[in-house]
Amino acid sequence: MIKLHTNHGVIALELDAAKAPKTVANFEQYVKDGFYDGTIFHRVIGGFMIQGGGFEPGMKQKSTQAPVENEANNGLKNEVGTIAMARTSDPHSATAQFFINVADNDFLNYPGQDGWGYCVFGRVVEGMDVVNKIKGVKTSRAGFHQDVPVEDVVIERAEVC
Amino acid sequence: MLTLFVSDVHLHPSRPQTARRFGEFLAEAQGAAALYILGDLFDAWAGDDDLPDPFNAGVCSALKALVDDGTQVFFLPGNRDFLVREAFAAATGARFLPDESVVDVAGVATLLLHGDTLCTDDRAYADFRAQVRSPQWQRDFLARPLAERKAEIAVLRARSEAGKRVKPAELMDVNPAAVAQAYARHGVARIIHGHTHRMARHAEAGGERWVLPDWDDAHGVALACDAAGCRWFEFPAP
Repeated sequence: MIKLHTNHGVIALELDAAKAPKTVANFEQYVKDGFYDGTIFHRVIGGFMIQGGGFEPGMKQKSTQAPVENEANNGLKNEVGTIAMARTSDPHSATAQFFINVADNDFLNYPGQDGWGYCVFGRVVEGMDVVNKIKGVKTSRAGFHQDVPVEDVVIERAEVC
Repeated sequence: MLTLFVSDVHLHPSRPQTARRFGEFLAEAQGAAALYILGDLFDAWAGDDDLPDPFNAGVCSALKALVDDGTQVFFLPGNRDFLVREAFAAATGARFLPDESVVDVAGVATLLLHGDTLCTDDRAYADFRAQVRSPQWQRDFLARPLAERKAEIAVLRARSEAGKRVKPAELMDVNPAAVAQAYARHGVARIIHGHTHRMARHAEAGGERWVLPDWDDAHGVALACDAAGCRWFEFPAP
């Protein structure tokens, strides 16, 4: 189990190493390295997902390790309360950033819109109330959409339990 | 001095996540010297009298915010949004570019175009393009009521989607001779275009050719160029 100690409370995650072995190993390594400590949820979209694990307060991007292979074709779905890896349009580009689904986002499931989709590798087992608190924080708007929390949502510490 | 390029965003009210991604991109683009939109920003544009539509108004005000912030925005029409006119320019602060434009990008003369005119193997499309780009056709079309134009565009969109499923793939890609001629005709060693949705950097006899990808609900990729060269510009996301 993984615990994310945030400034809104604790989110406990159960990872599925059987279905997404490489993704889980990748995520756990970042946790053990202390990479996530002091990072923020920088993209919060209430009806969609909360994304974090790549920036420090002030939107300072952290440098990451090599990307991990996309294991989205594992039967796990982007449903409410699941955790999945963020990536660029390169299917195998996930590094540290992840997101927690706060809606059933079918369009992210394998094969998605690009033949790959987004790899789910675990789910929230405790602290869904914390996730829901985070999805409701005030975000700033520039242009017609902008999803950066006005006040930092910080992962103070992440640990493997 | 960063210059950004996008094309084929295909904004449409039926794809709200794409619009969201584009809005986020515009926020990220703040600080760039210029943003070039190389066609098909909109999946359809019935005419500037559709500007008050809330979706269109939202897009335009976001572009205006970027212009007001000091980034120059240039708009080169595509095969979906070639009916954009002066009222759009006034609402956004964007400046129009001709179909084929040579621009100095950090010291490199670069040909910008949408890319449809490079797909010379698709004769049926070339005929269609010649028809809808004629001033006579556009005058007649824009004279019809907005609702009627939108209905006709919906039919054309559906027909285009159906056509893409049956057309051979090579027909919908650029013709190598047309590309070689474009380098030579404009005396450039760099071309940036979209339209084919086949994101790539091609190293060719004439120079380098960057093909911009289309956007979808999860991702939008821009090209970023400065004195060090060009590279893809995007952020991890769903």
